Amino acid sequence: MPYQSNRSQEGYLLVDHRNSPGITQADLLTIPEPMRQQFMATTGVFESPTMRCSHCGTMVVLNPQRTRARGYCQKCDHYICDGPACHHSCTPFMQRVESTQEQAARLLNIKEF
Amino acid sequence: MGKRSFGNTNWTPTATGDTTAMANTTYQAIKGASATARNEVIEIYMAGMVASTSSPTFMQFAYSSTVATTPTALAAPAYDGPLDPAAVTGATVSFTASAAGPQRSVVVTVPRLNVGINAWGGIVRWVAANREEFIVSGAAATGGEATLSAFTGGTVGALNSHIIYEVV
Repeated sequence: MPYQSNRSQEGYLLVDHRNSPGITQADLLTIPEPMRQQFMATTGVFESPTMRCSHCGTMVVLNPQRTRARGYCQKCDHYICDGPACHHSCTPFMQRVESTQEQAARLLNIKEF
Repeated sequence: MGKRSFGNTNWTPTATGDTTAMANTTYQAIKGASATARNEVIEIYMAGMVASTSSPTFMQFAYSSTVATTPTALAAPAYDGPLDPAAVTGATVSFTASAAGPQRSVVVTVPRLNVGINAWGGIVRWVAANREEFIVSGAAATGGEATLSAFTGGTVGALNSHIIYEVV
């Protein structure tokens, strides 16, 4: 099995506000809580890797200035987000997607009597 | 299957709260063609088209908790086609209007991607890593439909945008 770096799991986000006023703190105040915390004020260029949490599927924009350790699941060898539920047990998001699809496919094959 | 690009030109989203039906032509939605369909979203790109007024537009790519009913066939300037004309592409449903609009899920454990942009000259591009795509699985809520739409707040402005996805 080929070795894969965890960084190969990273997506990429570019927010380019060089020719724009960008999103200011005042703009963020127009967003109702708690969703306000999900957006960030950006001016100029912001580039960051993104990771999909292996357990809940959330796409997380990694904060380049974070210093504390990020979540990691040894069972699925993948990044996990800070959500408490994601640290309890290992149920990979892709496993849930695949089992849902398998269920749907099985339903197509039910014989009617 | 082949990758497809689903885009729209110079369209203006409307700031819409979660679990509220979106108005026609204020969103871009992707839905599976059947319960066994799977679409993988690889890239989201938006470019602001507003000429001279600051227009913070809090866009989100998120699952629907109530899927749209009777999607309307795409009409220009919206488009959806294979990036490789020779590729075999599976069926999917992409739309910007429907009889009853999709409703964005409010559930905290349901993922969404926040891609806020100032539509006065801003550019936002998100690209997924291989096997780390945003999955749209099946055709029912929650997970079978996802929308690119504006969340409540800001002063929305016109955008050009595309979503690159693959029907698996």
